[in-house]
Amino acid sequence: MANVNSTLYRFRRHRNQVAVGFAVAATVFGLSWLVLILGELLWKGFAGLSLSVFTEITPPPAAEGGLRNAIIGSLAMTVIAVVIGTPLGILAGTYMAEYGRYAKLSMVVRFINDILLSAPSIVVGLFVYEVMVAQMGHFSGWAGAVALAVLVVPVVVRTTEDMLTLVPDTLREAAASVGLPRSLMIQKVAYRAARAGMITGVLLAVARISGETAPLLFTALNNQFGNLDMNAPMASLPVVIFLFALSPYKEWQQLAWTGALLITIAVLALSIGARLLTAQRKTS
Amino acid sequence: MTDAALPGGAILIAAQADRGKVLHRLRLHDAVFRRLTFFAAVGVLIILGGIIVSLIHGSLPAIRAYGFGFLLSQIWDPVGDKFGALAPIYGTLVTSFIAMLIAVPVGLLIALFLTELCPMWLRRPIGIAIELLAGIPSIIYGIWGLFVFAPVLQQTLQPFLIDIFGPIPILNDIFAGPPFGIGMMTAGLILAVMVLPFITSISRDVFEAVPPVLKEAAYGVGCTTWEVVRYVVLPYARVGVIGGVMLGLGRALGETMAVTFVIGNAHHISTSVLAPGTTISAAIANEFTEAVGKLYTSALIELGLILFVITFIVLAIARLMLMRINARVGG
Amino acid sequence: MSSMAAITVPSVAKAPIDVEGLTEKISVRNLDFFYGDHRALKDINVSLHQGRVTAFIGPSGCGKSTLLRVLNRMYDLYPNQRATGDVNLDGENILSPHQDLNLLRAKVGMVFQKPTPFPMTIYENIAFGIRLYEKLPKSELEGRVQHALQRAALWEEVKDKLGANGLSLSGGQQQRLCIARTVAVRPEVILFDEPCSALDPISTAKIEELIDELKEDYTIAIVTHNMQQAARVSDFTAFMYLGELVEFGETTKIFTTPNDRRTQDYITGRFG
Repeated sequence: MANVNSTLYRFRRHRNQVAVGFAVAATVFGLSWLVLILGELLWKGFAGLSLSVFTEITPPPAAEGGLRNAIIGSLAMTVIAVVIGTPLGILAGTYMAEYGRYAKLSMVVRFINDILLSAPSIVVGLFVYEVMVAQMGHFSGWAGAVALAVLVVPVVVRTTEDMLTLVPDTLREAAASVGLPRSLMIQKVAYRAARAGMITGVLLAVARISGETAPLLFTALNNQFGNLDMNAPMASLPVVIFLFALSPYKEWQQLAWTGALLITIAVLALSIGARLLTAQRKTS
Repeated sequence: MTDAALPGGAILIAAQADRGKVLHRLRLHDAVFRRLTFFAAVGVLIILGGIIVSLIHGSLPAIRAYGFGFLLSQIWDPVGDKFGALAPIYGTLVTSFIAMLIAVPVGLLIALFLTELCPMWLRRPIGIAIELLAGIPSIIYGIWGLFVFAPVLQQTLQPFLIDIFGPIPILNDIFAGPPFGIGMMTAGLILAVMVLPFITSISRDVFEAVPPVLKEAAYGVGCTTWEVVRYVVLPYARVGVIGGVMLGLGRALGETMAVTFVIGNAHHISTSVLAPGTTISAAIANEFTEAVGKLYTSALIELGLILFVITFIVLAIARLMLMRINARVGG
Repeated sequence: MSSMAAITVPSVAKAPIDVEGLTEKISVRNLDFFYGDHRALKDINVSLHQGRVTAFIGPSGCGKSTLLRVLNRMYDLYPNQRATGDVNLDGENILSPHQDLNLLRAKVGMVFQKPTPFPMTIYENIAFGIRLYEKLPKSELEGRVQHALQRAALWEEVKDKLGANGLSLSGGQQQRLCIARTVAVRPEVILFDEPCSALDPISTAKIEELIDELKEDYTIAIVTHNMQQAARVSDFTAFMYLGELVEFGETTKIFTTPNDRRTQDYITGRFG
């Protein structure tokens, strides 16, 4: 009964096969970039990997050296950025999920936060330059940490709000019925229930700022020497890679690759850690 | 609080007085905590406000000096203190356009593959691979682009394009040599690889949210997989996909490190896509720390302001579109 | 309901029926179905006859929807589901790996539990299916769309708003739109998977009327958890329980004097 036009049918079949072919090709295309980039990174990065990378400070041009000051600088600024940004992010997310759940303010903050999440990080660098570096008169590790903190906040706000919203209301009601005031209910019950998710958020935020270069370029600047003074310009892995890679010196370029490898390993480890935490939460 | 005339009444009253103190303390704790969260939420708005205010403040000298002409002028003369934003703006737009031109179709096709065609056991590994690609910091793309990709392009693709379009009018201006390796097209291509995983994963999430019954209904009428995708999945997911594409565009516009290494840093608009150029973020990244003089710095900050405005608009549109879908799905 | 006074059909367990005067359109023999390792259908044998409505009833989880979805190989979309045995449509085994699925679905249409209009206009919802298989001039296409909507008793209600989105119709109208869409492709068999469970009583009555009219030209199978609906609408009824076909026969017989104890218990509401 169905009147099937066979040329039309053949055409449809072919069109489907072509489309499927393109989809497969696109996937192979996309994946091959991963292989090419990671492959090159591993190859070139490992070539320069040795203990001295961790023990020596950045060398002057055309000399051997390491990345110690850059690594320490990155670690210091990252830690401080997390210390500053996480509480702010958690509190803001808590407001949006708990006290201000239906408030207009939450809608606005959510919208703005999502924009900040994807905003160009170089603009954040300019912002911190204006409010800190220009005011203080010099570059500093503090400024770098603050710039990174500004990048941490939106990520933590988002994950905190999402995770707290997932906590079922029945849990909240149970806490209230035992007489727990709101703030304690949030701190002792909701946070605990959402803990894995919130930690994941922090890990993701750290992964994100680990590779950020632009915001550090004119806040912490760089420091060729070992330096633990946050009030002075501070070295960081991304900035060192930036400077060394663009230079004509072979030793510097090699260190750039090795530094890139270190950052990538750190970022991937954090991402995997975050993923494992979410998986754990699903099974428990 | 009751008067208890029972034995142990004194204990009861004392206990209640203690409880009173505890309750008072808890109320204080509550109020303080609540205030804190409120101010933290406002803090997010303050950050945004601070960014806008500081950018405007920093751009004022340049705005006063160059006015509207800043947007239309190509001149970039640090010595004579004459600056124009046209070249960076052009570069930002063109590189992002090239990136989206490649990343959107490829990303959609990959998302399609993952949701409709991919065998089950392959789905997670590929999904993880895409996420890995997304997680690689942009500076890695930058140095890879500079040391690996650009030289290869210089040897292969660029001469090829120059030859092939040589005899064709108009196109031979767009693809004119010499093959530098670095340049606008290279930057656009690297940007494409950066944005690709982003578009893929958002598209995949949106495709997965299409109700299976709807797809079954289409298969039930005898549609091929492609027809199900084209006539059911894509229309249903259209708003989400556009939102995701806009988000990707917002990222591409603001990307600094991937582009800075390979754009060539020439404040010059050329017809050829193979020529070096500059983008707003690349210009700022390369020149800010060496900018001497108030006007130079201010011009760069004004560039930052322009970039922020452009990305803000794009991201706002993206969020609005995505909000519409969440409303539809949730409600 | 049409009368079958001239032909008495015994009700049998597990065996198909050869009925004089009726063509066997789909014959299911020794069908097993697996979700992974779990055997959801056990050795099913049943026939669907041309021009008749066959209802599948049974408690939740008995496998009736699963069976229906074998008939147009909808389960093929899901990798860990598979079927073994024979399902012959006009003598050809549709479970064969050589079976062209798109052509099969052109012959065997399906109406789902939840109304699923495509994200298109009302007109496009219908025209879309037709265009897949036939190249028609516009006037003819419009005629076909109108005819399909008339057969689905929807034409009068939507003829002035063919350009409206399919989702703008009420639930009952959407389901009739889906029926129109299925009919427009001119299949030979129509499978209804609990078509009224999401609808109000008035829409349900309309659709039952529709099924009665449609069976003239099609072979119809309907899965329903509503026994009264099965009794109203079908000529043959199959009672399924825990993946087995317990009893199959003329509807009047099944509902008045079933052979099997389990059928009796289900009909009288002892369980399910």
